[in-house]
Amino acid sequence: MIFDRSLFDWVLKSHRWQQLVLFLMIVLMVFLRIFPLEMQKRVINIAIQLKQLDTLYVYCALYLGAVVVAGVLKFVVNALQAYIGQKVLLKIRNQLYEHILLLPLPFFRKTPPGMVISSLTSELSVIGDFLGGAIAVPLINVLTLVTFAGYMFHLNPLLAVLSMSIYPLEIAIIPALQKRLNRLNFERIDTVRSMSNVIGEAVSGMQEVHANAGYSLENRKFGGFSETLFHLRNRMNILKNGIKFVNSFFQSLGPFLLFLVGGWLSIKGRLDLGALVAFLSAYEKLYDPWRELMDYYQDYQDSQVRYKRIMEYFHERPEFAVEPVGRDPYPLDGRIEMQNLSFTVDNGIRLLDQVSMKIDPGSQVALVGLSGSGKSTLAMVIGQIYSYNGGRVLVDGKELRTLTKMDVVSNMGYVAQQPFIFDGSLLDNLVYACDSIREYDRGGRECAPPSPSQVLQAISMVGLSDDILRFGLNTVLSPAHPIGAVEEIVRFRNRFHSKWGAALADSVEFFDYRRYLYHSSVAVNVTFGTPNRDEYKYHVLHQNPKFQEIVEESGLMRPLVVLGQDLAAQTVILLGDLIEDPFFVRQSPIPPNRLDHYRDLVERTAGMNADDLERADWDSFLLLALRFTPAVHTMAAFPEGLPSLIFRTRFHFIERITKEEPEAFTFYRDNNYLFNETILGNILFGKLKSDAPHAMEEVQQRVAELLDGESLHASLMGLGMEFQVGSKGDRLSGGQKQKIAIARALLKNPSILILDEATASLDNASQARIQHLIDSDLKGKCTVISVAHRLSTIESYDQIAVMRAGKVIELGAYDELLARKGLFYELINGTKEAAL
Amino acid sequence: MNPSIESHTTCGPVAEKEKHRCELDANLELLRRVPAFAGAPLDRLRLFAFMSKRQRFSPGAFIIRQGDSAHTAYMVISGTAQVIKEFKTLSVLLNEFNEGDFFGGLALLTDFKRPFSVRALTDVCCLSVDRETFMRIFSQSPEVILQIVDSMMKRHSTMFDKFLEKLSPECIANLKL
Repeated sequence: MIFDRSLFDWVLKSHRWQQLVLFLMIVLMVFLRIFPLEMQKRVINIAIQLKQLDTLYVYCALYLGAVVVAGVLKFVVNALQAYIGQKVLLKIRNQLYEHILLLPLPFFRKTPPGMVISSLTSELSVIGDFLGGAIAVPLINVLTLVTFAGYMFHLNPLLAVLSMSIYPLEIAIIPALQKRLNRLNFERIDTVRSMSNVIGEAVSGMQEVHANAGYSLENRKFGGFSETLFHLRNRMNILKNGIKFVNSFFQSLGPFLLFLVGGWLSIKGRLDLGALVAFLSAYEKLYDPWRELMDYYQDYQDSQVRYKRIMEYFHERPEFAVEPVGRDPYPLDGRIEMQNLSFTVDNGIRLLDQVSMKIDPGSQVALVGLSGSGKSTLAMVIGQIYSYNGGRVLVDGKELRTLTKMDVVSNMGYVAQQPFIFDGSLLDNLVYACDSIREYDRGGRECAPPSPSQVLQAISMVGLSDDILRFGLNTVLSPAHPIGAVEEIVRFRNRFHSKWGAALADSVEFFDYRRYLYHSSVAVNVTFGTPNRDEYKYHVLHQNPKFQEIVEESGLMRPLVVLGQDLAAQTVILLGDLIEDPFFVRQSPIPPNRLDHYRDLVERTAGMNADDLERADWDSFLLLALRFTPAVHTMAAFPEGLPSLIFRTRFHFIERITKEEPEAFTFYRDNNYLFNETILGNILFGKLKSDAPHAMEEVQQRVAELLDGESLHASLMGLGMEFQVGSKGDRLSGGQKQKIAIARALLKNPSILILDEATASLDNASQARIQHLIDSDLKGKCTVISVAHRLSTIESYDQIAVMRAGKVIELGAYDELLARKGLFYELINGTKEAAL
Repeated sequence: MNPSIESHTTCGPVAEKEKHRCELDANLELLRRVPAFAGAPLDRLRLFAFMSKRQRFSPGAFIIRQGDSAHTAYMVISGTAQVIKEFKTLSVLLNEFNEGDFFGGLALLTDFKRPFSVRALTDVCCLSVDRETFMRIFSQSPEVILQIVDSMMKRHSTMFDKFLEKLSPECIANLKL
C-alpha cells in the first residue's frame, strides 16, 4: 500500500540509471573542486617563487579549465536532480490520488474536500522540491567535506584538527532546535488543513451564508485559524533563523583560529605561505557544503513531517479490488440473494440487521420505510458502494464482497438520491458510466461507446428530449459554423414564418424592414442589422463619423438629441433616487453607473436649446436616444413624425453601408443569419412583444412542432447535447439532473438497476413516465431495486420490503401487505391522512 | 407613409390627442382611476405605473387560472372578462369585469391560491402589477394598503351576501361556518 512506503523509498526505487549518472557526475565535480586548490598552491609555491612564466600559464589554464568544467557540471547536476524530483513527485501524486479515489465512501464522509486538495497540491509540492536533491545534495556535500578535510589534513594535520573542532559543537545544538521546529510544523499543517476546511465549507455552503448574512461569522472562523497560522509561522521563522545563526556563528570562529595558529606557525617557519593560503581557501570552501548540508537537514525534516502527516491521513485500505485478475468481468444475471445481511458502523450501530431476501432476475423490488430505516443503506450495499460486515449477499450466486468493481459496474446501474453531475457537456455526463467501463477495457471484450441513436433513445426514455432541444435552440453559433447548417436554419426560419407568422403577429414583432420596431432600440431601427465591426457597435455608434454623417444628412440628428434630452430628464425624475435598487433600474435606459452623470447633465442643461449644447453633452444625449425602446422605456414618447424619419433614415443607411462597407453589418434580411443571436432567436427573427404574457412558451411549442421529423431536429439535438452543464451541473434543474442520471445508468444496459429515490425531484408527469419505463420496457429484462418515496408508484412491484431500524419487517406483494394490516398498511394510510 | 410606422406600441385604445403621450402617463392616469390608488402620493404612483405592464389576452385566454398561486393584480383597460368558478365537470359564471375594473388586488398583499378563474371574453387589454413591485413601493404607505383591503373587502362581502341570500336557512345551518 502506498502509505507504507517511506519518503526515501520513492527516490531509491525510481530512475536508477539516471541517479547513477548523477552520482558519477557528482564525484567528478567534487574532484574538480579540489583541483583548483592544488593549482593555487603550486602557482604560489612553484611558479611565483621560481619565477617560471611557462609553469604559471600551465597552472592558470588548468585552474580555469577545472573551474569551467565544474560550473557546467554543477548546472547539469542541478537540472538533472530537479527533473528526478519532479518525476518522483508526479509518481507520488498520481498514485496517491488513485489510492484516495479507491477509499471507501465513509472515509469521504469524514474528510473535507479542502483537506484532500491541500494534501495533493501545496503540501506535496514542497516535498517535490526536496525530493530532487534527496540523494544528490547530501552526497555532493559530504563528499566535498570529506575531500576538503582530507586535503587539509594533507596540508597540516594540526590546523585541520583545530578548525574541525567546532563542528561537533554545532551537531550537539542544532538537532535540538530542529526538533522544536518540527513540532511547530506539525501544528502548522493541521492549522492549514482546518483553514482550508473552513474555506471549503463556506464556499460550498455559500447559499446558507448569504441567506443568513453569515459573513462575519465565517470570517471569524477563518480569522481564528489565520491568526494561529501567523503565530506559528513567526515562531518557526525565529527557530529557523536561530539555526542559521548558530551555524554561521560557529563557522566564522574557524578563520580566527586559523589566523592565530596558522600565522604563528608561518612566522615560526613551520608552515609555508602557499600552504596557509591554500588552507584558508580550503576552509572557506568548507563553508558552502556545510551550509548546504544544514539546509538539506532542515528541508529533510520539513518534508518528512509533511509526508508523514499526509500518509497518516490516507492510511486506509480500499474495500474492493477494481479489476479482476486473469479473467474478464463476469456477466451477472439479475438474481440477488441476501442471507442475514448486517452492516455495523464504527460506533456499534447496526444500520442493517439480519436482512434476508431473494430477488429473481428481472423482478422488481421496492424498499419502503420511514427515513432512517436503512432502505437507502441497503440499496447502497447492493450497489457495492458500502461494504457489509455480516451475512452474505449473493449476486448471480457470487459473493458480492469478493466481486471486483468492474464485475459490479458492468452489470449494475445505480442512480443516487442526489446524482452528481460533472462539469462538462451534457453528453459527457450521459456517457460517463460507459466511458468509465471502457477505461478499464484493455482489449479483449468488445465495448463500443453508445451510438448517437442509443443516446437519443435513452434521452427520450427518461423524457429529456424537450430539454435538450431547448438547449440546442438556445445555442449561439460561431461564424465558423459550417455554412450548410446555418443555411438550413435560415430555410427553416422562412418555413416557420410562412406557417406561423400571421398567427404569432400579435405576440412577436418580426424583423420586418417595412415596419418601425417598437420593441427594439432606435439604433437597431436605423441600422437594421447587427454590427460586425467594433467601430459600429451600438455603444460607440454615436461617435462613428459615417453614422453621424448619414444621420445628419437625413435631418435626424437634432430630433434625436432632443429625444435624448427628454428621455434623460424623465428618467432622472423617475429613477434618480433609486440608483441603489436594481429592481427598478432594470427598465431604465440609463445604466446605474451612468445615472449620476446624466443627473448632473440634466441639471446643467435644463432649459437649454439643443443647439447650444457642448459637443460631449450632445454625444451623451445622442447615445441615450439611440437606446430608446418605446415598449420598454415608457417614461418617454416619440414626438410626432420621428418614427417615420428614423424609418426613412434606415433605407439611406442600408444603401450607404451596402455600397461602401458591406462587411460592416449583417442586415435583418430574410436570408441572413445573425451570429450574435441564439438559433431560436434566428428562427423567431423578431422580438417578443412586452404585452404578450405567454409568447415565449407559444413560440417554443410551435418551433418544436414544426421541427418534428426534420433533419435540423437531429442537428439541434446534437448541439443541445454539447450544452455545458456548469460546475456540479448548476445550470440544470434538479429534475434534469435526475433524468440525466437515470439515462446514464440505462445506457449501460444493466441487468440490475438500483434507484435510490431517483425520481424525487421530478414532476408528476416525468415520474409517471419513468414508472411506465420500469413497468413495461424493463420488466423481465432488468432487476429493479427501488427505494420508494411515493408509495403510490409501487403497486405493480413484485415484492415490497418494509424496513424499520435496519430490519426487513414485512415482505410481500402490495395487496398481501395491505391485507396484513401491519406497518405497510399504516404507512399507506398515514400518507393518505397526511395528504388529506 | 406606411400606416404601421406611426402606430402605438402596446395594447389599449389610444385617443388621437394621446398618440404622442408616453405610455407611463397613460398608465398613471388609469391607475388613478382605481379607488385604492387614488389617494397615493403621486411620485410613488408614477414609479408604480412605470413598473406595471400592459398585457393583451385573446378571447378565451385565461387571465387568472383557478388554483394558481396569486402574485398579480389587474386593471381592465379595454374589453370584457368573465369570472368563473371551475368545477370538475362544469364552470359557473360569477361576474364580469369591464373597462376600469380592478381585480385580484389581494394578490398585492399576500400569496394565496386563486379561488376563481378570470377569462377574456373579447380581446382584453389589462394593466398588470405584481406584489413585489407593490411591496417595494408601498410597504411604507399604510393608507394605500388599507384602501386596497377596504375595496376588496367590500367586493367580497357583497359577493358573500349575494351568496348567502341564494341559500336556504337549512343549507346555511349545515355549512357550520
